[in-house]
Amino acid sequence: MNNGCLENRKKEHDNSQKRPKSYKFGSKSDDFALAIAKVAVAQLCESVGFQGFHLSALETLSDISVRYIYSIGKTANLSANLAGRVEGNVFDIIHGLEDLGSNLGFSGASDVDRCVVSSGVVKDITHFVGVSDFIPFAYDVSGFPVVKESTKTGSFWEKEEVPPGEHIPSWLPAFPDPETYATRLSVENETMGVSNGKKTESELERVERTMDRSLLNLQLRFAHNENKGGSSHGSGYVATESNPYLAAPLHVGEKEVSPVVLPTKLSNEVALRNPVHVDVGNHVSVLETFAPAIEAMKSGLCDSDNGKKKLLYDQRPTVRFKIGIGKKSLGTISDFGSQNEEDLLKIASWFGNDNEKDDKKRRVEKILKESVESSKE
Amino acid sequence: MNHNRQSNDGKHDDDSALSDFLASLMDYTPTIPDELVEHYLAKSGFQCPDVRLIRLVAVATQKFVAEVANDALQHCKARQAAVVKDKREKQQKVISFDACF
Repeated sequence: MNNGCLENRKKEHDNSQKRPKSYKFGSKSDDFALAIAKVAVAQLCESVGFQGFHLSALETLSDISVRYIYSIGKTANLSANLAGRVEGNVFDIIHGLEDLGSNLGFSGASDVDRCVVSSGVVKDITHFVGVSDFIPFAYDVSGFPVVKESTKTGSFWEKEEVPPGEHIPSWLPAFPDPETYATRLSVENETMGVSNGKKTESELERVERTMDRSLLNLQLRFAHNENKGGSSHGSGYVATESNPYLAAPLHVGEKEVSPVVLPTKLSNEVALRNPVHVDVGNHVSVLETFAPAIEAMKSGLCDSDNGKKKLLYDQRPTVRFKIGIGKKSLGTISDFGSQNEEDLLKIASWFGNDNEKDDKKRRVEKILKESVESSKE
Repeated sequence: MNHNRQSNDGKHDDDSALSDFLASLMDYTPTIPDELVEHYLAKSGFQCPDVRLIRLVAVATQKFVAEVANDALQHCKARQAAVVKDKREKQQKVISFDACF
C-alpha cells in the first residue's frame, strides 16, 4: 500500500474552531477529547492506505467513532442495570456490541439459543486483532478530565470549636475566621486602641505628616503651573507637567485676548471690515442697550450714562424695539420727578409713540418719493 | 446427555477463548487510547474498574473505524478506476486520492 501523508495538523486546529456547535459532542468542553479522537482516526486511516483527508470528513468520522464508544457504554450500562448491577462486565459489553452490529450482521446472529460467550462479535474482534498491525497512539495522553481537589473546611467538631449559637449543630462546617471578612478600619482602630498612647500618637502624627506632604505637593504644583501659565505651549513634555485645567484662573487684563465683535449692521460696510480693528467702545450687547433705560426707569439718569448713550447713537443707528408698552408707560415715566425733558423724549422714543409713527410714515413717504424720482431720471 | 457434555465442553472452550482473548488484549495496545474510551464510557454512565473491558471497547471501535475506512477506500478506488478508463493520460500523474463519503 502507498505510504500516506496527512494534512497539516495546524490547519485542522485552526479550521476546527469554525465548525458549528450543533454536534452533541461538539461542545467546548469536549474539544480536547475530540482532538484526540481525530488523531487516532487519522492514524487508522493512514494505516488503511489513505494519503489525504478532508477536514470535514475527518471531523465526521471522529465524531461517529466517539458516538460509537458512547453508544456501547450506554447499552452496556442499560443491560447491567437490567440485571440489577451497578458495574458492568464483559457480557454487558458483548450485548452492546451485538446491538450495534445487528445492522451489518455478525456470524451466529440468527441463532436462537446462542451464548454470549461464543458470540460472533467476539470472534470478529479476535480475528481483527490477529490481522491488524500494531499502531500505537502518536501522543502520550494523561487521564482527563482532571478533577480539581476541593479543600474541605472542617466542621466545628473537627476543629474543636464551639458553634456561636445553640441552633448550629457541630457537624456543620465551621465559620471562616473573622479576620477574613472584618474591615481594615475597625481592625486598625482596635489595634490603635489597644496599643500604647505614645504609639497611637506617633501613628497619628505619621498620618498627618503624609497629609501635609501631599497638600504641600499640590500647592507647589499649582504655583509651578501659574508661573508656566502663559509660556511655551509647544512641547508636549511641558504640557504634561503643567495641566492647564489645574492652573489658577487668570485675572482681567492679565492675558491679551482677541476681542469678540458683534455685527453692527447687516447692510453696513463696517460689518464687512475686519472685525478685529473695531474699537472696544463699539461692543454693545442687548442688555447694555436697555440697561440705561432700565436705570432711567428706576432712578435718575446720570451724565455718564448720557455720555455712553451719545457714543452709542453717534456710532450706530438706534435699534428700536416695540416692547408693547402703551401710553400708560409714558404716564409712569412722567411721574418721575427728577427727569429732564430731553431724557424723557429719548425714553419715549424707545417705547414707541404716536409722534414716532408719524415720523416713520414721513420717512417712508420720503423714500418712496426719492425712488420714484430716481426711476424717472 | 452427550449433547449436554458437548455443549458444556463448548462452553468451556468459549469461556477459555474469551478469557484468553481478554488476556491477549493487554499485550495489544489499540490505536485509540484508553483515556479517551474511559472518558466517553464514563460520560455514558458505564462504570467498570476492569482495564481489559476498556481495551475490548477500544479494539471494537478501532475495528469499526477500520471497516468504514476500508469501504471508503474501495469506493474511491472504484471511482478512480472508472475515471481512468476515460482519461488515462491525464490521470496518470495524480496518484494520491482523498477519502470520500
